[in-house]
Amino acid sequence: MPGHRWFVLLIFALPNGLGCSAEPEGERPFVAAITTDPGHLNTAITTNGSVHTAGGLLYNGLIALDANLKPVPELAERWEVLHGGSVYRFHLRHDVRWHDGHPFRAADVKFTFEQLLLKFHSRTRASLGPALLRVDAPDDFTIEFTFKRPYAPLLQQLDVEEAPIMPRHVFATGDPLRNKANTAPVGTGPYRFVSYRSGSEIRFTANPGYFGGTPSIRDIVLRIVPDPGVQVMALEAGEVDWLFGVPGPERERLRRDKRFEVAQSPGYSGGSNCVTTVGFNLDRALVRDVRLRRAFAHAVNRPQIVERVLFGEGRVADAPISSGIAFAHASDLHLPDFDTTKASRLLEAAGWRGAPRGIRVSRAVRGVADGTPLTLGFTVMPGQARYGDLLRAQLRVVGIDLRVTALEPAVFSQTVFTARDFDTAIIAYCNGADPEIGVRRQYVSSSIGPIPFSNTAAYRNPAMDSLFDSAASAVDVSMRSRLYRRIQEIAVRDQPYVWLVETLNTRAFSVRCTGFGISPHFAVTAKCRN
Amino acid sequence: MQELNSRFVLRRLLQIVPTVLGIVLIGFVLIHFAPGDPVLALAGEHGDAAYYAFMRQRFGLDRSLPEQLAVYFARVVSGDMGMSYVHGRSTVALIMERVPATLLLTGTALIIAVAVSIPLGALAARRPHGARDIGISAAALGLYSAPAFWLGQLSILIVALQLGLLPVQGMTSAGDPNTGLLRVVDVARHLALPALVLASQELAALVRLTRGGLIDELARDHVRTARAKGLTELGVLFRHAMPRALLPVLTIIGARAGQLIAGTVVIEIVFGWPGIGRLLLTSLQNRDTPLLLALFMMVSIAVVLANLVTDLIYAALDPRVRIR
Repeated sequence: MPGHRWFVLLIFALPNGLGCSAEPEGERPFVAAITTDPGHLNTAITTNGSVHTAGGLLYNGLIALDANLKPVPELAERWEVLHGGSVYRFHLRHDVRWHDGHPFRAADVKFTFEQLLLKFHSRTRASLGPALLRVDAPDDFTIEFTFKRPYAPLLQQLDVEEAPIMPRHVFATGDPLRNKANTAPVGTGPYRFVSYRSGSEIRFTANPGYFGGTPSIRDIVLRIVPDPGVQVMALEAGEVDWLFGVPGPERERLRRDKRFEVAQSPGYSGGSNCVTTVGFNLDRALVRDVRLRRAFAHAVNRPQIVERVLFGEGRVADAPISSGIAFAHASDLHLPDFDTTKASRLLEAAGWRGAPRGIRVSRAVRGVADGTPLTLGFTVMPGQARYGDLLRAQLRVVGIDLRVTALEPAVFSQTVFTARDFDTAIIAYCNGADPEIGVRRQYVSSSIGPIPFSNTAAYRNPAMDSLFDSAASAVDVSMRSRLYRRIQEIAVRDQPYVWLVETLNTRAFSVRCTGFGISPHFAVTAKCRN
Repeated sequence: MQELNSRFVLRRLLQIVPTVLGIVLIGFVLIHFAPGDPVLALAGEHGDAAYYAFMRQRFGLDRSLPEQLAVYFARVVSGDMGMSYVHGRSTVALIMERVPATLLLTGTALIIAVAVSIPLGALAARRPHGARDIGISAAALGLYSAPAFWLGQLSILIVALQLGLLPVQGMTSAGDPNTGLLRVVDVARHLALPALVLASQELAALVRLTRGGLIDELARDHVRTARAKGLTELGVLFRHAMPRALLPVLTIIGARAGQLIAGTVVIEIVFGWPGIGRLLLTSLQNRDTPLLLALFMMVSIAVVLANLVTDLIYAALDPRVRIR
């Protein structure tokens, strides 16, 4: 069959780029790989990471956060903090238009907060909602937030990740969760939507009238490549220019390859400053004694976690609050160090007696029958299974038997937070740009309950609750620092958690492109050679 | 015969209704009793209790299970297959977007598998336990036992990455969208690896069945008679042995054809192919009940229809089979 052979030959022989000949200028698009099909691109109605990764370029926040997470102007060109932090007034840019040509006005901001963010964006709803009295638009270019009492962290909660602004004229009617614009979005951002092919790719093109200047890269394609290993191969083959994450073992290889660059960042806004943490279920008698929890902490070799689980990309956590929130991070606290002798002594004192090399058993431990072996369940999501394997080996040395159970995310959330059926669990607490966003929920008694990634330990301490309330309304930074220091001292004393490591996000990209930022607008400042 | 046939077809078609309703009912109950909560998957993290209650109410998940079931069935009967929780769009539209890519991949793989396995099976049957037979059988079994994700990644590594012959992933190039013939070639290049890997997995059963069937047939009296008449070996093979030997092969192909539309999760993930298999997996992970149930329904209809067609072809090929 000569014809058949010819066809096969044709398939193999035609270079990928041949299609470009159809277009004279032939500018290669910038291709970024994403793992999950986001389903839609409306970042105001969810905190789902895949939607925010895919949709970030389309929208703007009132303000942005710079590399040090300090607020800088975006849709708002300047702002005033009034009445000791109870009222924030923002003056909006006059030259902003939606991608469909409509002018951007203060009414869009008011609408977005009232009808979208404070209803559907779980993080903004939970943190801003209870503190906020009202949002007003006194004129077309002024927006005012009035709080019930002074509210310190607002400026860290208005970027494109936490509070993307949506067009009122598009969402005014009908159910926002079913609006057609969720899959054919209209924003003000540096890129506008072109097409969305389910399961395949999403295409954007530079917004020529962008108020921040037209971006240099013209076309952006987000390719959905589900397998992380295949993402790396696609990068190496030149089909993809950018990866949002790289599996540990592949990083070193990419770093050595001159065609690619590998960069780390602590992340941006709500998804930043993540601390991988073990939470104890304080409802269970087994872990109610602080000596057992401290022994657990002493038995964990955290530098080894950085080396073997993170492949060097991260650091040992030295305080309950991430070092990425500089004003709140208490760097001179003494977290339990790696010391198996201290761990054994604490376990003995708590009534856990051990035969050499064996699993300890209880004798006169309150609420635990004598002779109970020290077996702790350890619940993880599949992505964190390596932590389980390593901790199991480390804790075995002091006579603690860790039973690791890996549950897929939906089941993990329900088992740990709704059913509370666990002894210990591992959570990546992303602290965000302010402790109010990602630290508070870990300790206050009001976030105990069926709320995912909240107060895992069910830690309850009225002093802690009121300290967090004071810190949220203290507008003076040095005052806030002092309050968060006190909070961390109590947390270390009570040890409801073991803070393991601070993790970093790894990006890998082709050296044909340079100049990336860390925000969802990462590609705006970048340039690519063809 | 004709009349019997049409009555048979009608009865079988009517059986689809209770079958599909049963599958949807079982699916509905299973999903609801499985751990995991669509609202948690949908809404993202860090909400407060009021937020989750609000979302549950929006999707009617706060009602009792019988109530939810009644609402769902009432909708299905009126032809409304519901909206996906995650996508906020019609489940039917979502599925239809994925059907062409799915059928292209699984259909091509099945055609390749059939086209390759029948000649190979015949070749192997010519001299049972000869060197060729052992070689073919071992190769087919080897491919069958190799895990699809491993075979897929290995083929990407060698063919796409090191030799640079074919693209690594996706269904089209990310460059400027091609049109016309260029687009056909582009899709064909992307299709080649996943279809070959998938076909290699299907190959073993078909080769073994063809071989076994032919060995039996070639030892029969009518074949000896045909040879005695002086027919060529190829004539004996194709006219006298093959038609009967292929009947069990047909059953397997029919069963596979019903599954075509369900896609193939592993191959789709490895090659980033935008098929139904991945849609099924993510909707399961997200507990996207309406989408899952719509997928169940579609796949079950396809399986029932494919079985019906297989039965009809079987009856046409084998005069001993009478359908009533």
